Amino acid sequence: MRRSITTTVTVVAGLVLIVDLLVVNPSLGAIATALQELLVLLAAAAAVGGAASLAAHHLRIVAQGTSDRLGSFVLLVGMGVILVAGLRPGSSGSSDPIVLWLVAAVLVPIAASLFALLFLFLLAAARRGLVTGGTEMILLLATSGVVVMLLLPLGGKAGEWLAAGAGWVETVPLAGVFRGLLIGVAIIASLTASRILLGIDRDDE
Amino acid sequence: MPSLGLLLVLALASLLPASDAVQLANPDATRSDELRGVVAGLPPNALVLVGFDPDLGTYGEIRATVRAALDDLIAHGARLAFVSFTPEGRALAAAELDRMRRAGQGALIADLGFVAGSEAGLVRSVADVVPADAVGAVADSIRARGGAMGAFTLVLVVSGGDLSARSWIEQVRPRLPSISLVAIAPTFLEPELAPYLRSGQLHALLATLRDGVAYANAVPVDQSAVTRRPISALPMLAGMLLALTLMGGSALRRLARGAPRGAG
Repeated sequence: MRRSITTTVTVVAGLVLIVDLLVVNPSLGAIATALQELLVLLAAAAAVGGAASLAAHHLRIVAQGTSDRLGSFVLLVGMGVILVAGLRPGSSGSSDPIVLWLVAAVLVPIAASLFALLFLFLLAAARRGLVTGGTEMILLLATSGVVVMLLLPLGGKAGEWLAAGAGWVETVPLAGVFRGLLIGVAIIASLTASRILLGIDRDDE
Repeated sequence: MPSLGLLLVLALASLLPASDAVQLANPDATRSDELRGVVAGLPPNALVLVGFDPDLGTYGEIRATVRAALDDLIAHGARLAFVSFTPEGRALAAAELDRMRRAGQGALIADLGFVAGSEAGLVRSVADVVPADAVGAVADSIRARGGAMGAFTLVLVVSGGDLSARSWIEQVRPRLPSISLVAIAPTFLEPELAPYLRSGQLHALLATLRDGVAYANAVPVDQSAVTRRPISALPMLAGMLLALTLMGGSALRRLARGAPRGAG
């Protein structure tokens, strides 16, 4: 049985966290807390690494002029502005008023505008799919068309019937399919986790 | 050009007055009443933790509901503390906190900031949720009650794609079984969260636009605060009808031409 260092670390960490959830023990609780702190630090380190990698990639594009130089330049300026606002001497980090203003007045409206365009892009893609797509695409779009009809915001009796129909679709077929998917994914995740915790590698099969 | 026409129609529809023939709120107000009931049952000066982790893509769908819920909580004398475990949630929380401070509600809210580590951060916050640099009367009240999540009477989870009420139920409830959770979520999370409502692990859930609008309509607007803009149903109806018409037109064109070669 081949046990890598990664597997051993995963097994020990996983068992400590699971046993901590089941047994009340201050010493075990302290170890579990330390592991969670480490996980938070690792996540933070991964985020910093990702940001550094992104910056390096776009700096290379700006320096070489290979593709969208303007886009890369804007991205780097945006990163720089937020970093300066959050890390300058006297700043209170992510809660600093300048950072909050940049986020509330610039970042959120830009993101909201981009996502609002999704309606137009989706509609264009649906039309193209209807004209050129295969049977699966037609089925997908026909179903979505029916759901859109059920969600039409009408008043009166017609509106009540449509709302009842939409509610039935949500609670019966949609919930059934979705729950089946979730249960399937959970079983596969449990199996994979059990294999890792028990140290069963592909070689053991 | 069709996109421009579509935008023009939507703009025109948003200018027209509302009509009884168009109604966005769910006629079945059960979900809305459940959340109103939980909020109405809060003791005076209750501390409420708002786990604010929506995503930029779907926040537009729940924004009006979230603002109505915050108004409802404040109208019932609650004091709110905001915490986020995702970067997008933090960005949106910053915008909402800024709006609430400008509305004169600053004394009733505390900013507990961003906790890194997603679910690991969530677990870590069960024992200590107040950062050392958090100031204000609400932060002091939480510290006086131990500074942990147990200090709160209620947790309102504003859910998004990265972290939803499911994470709170899976990670926080086993460690703090007495915690009372309610959630607001975009529609795509409804099938995932509805079973938790039925099992009683969530005390209230608003996860469709129609339920959200029914709730927002039921919450009285406080004129002293920033006026909440009601969601206009007419532009939505116009957009949906236009979309159906355009899709129907494309389907007819496809039928007239026959199936493309090799399709299916």
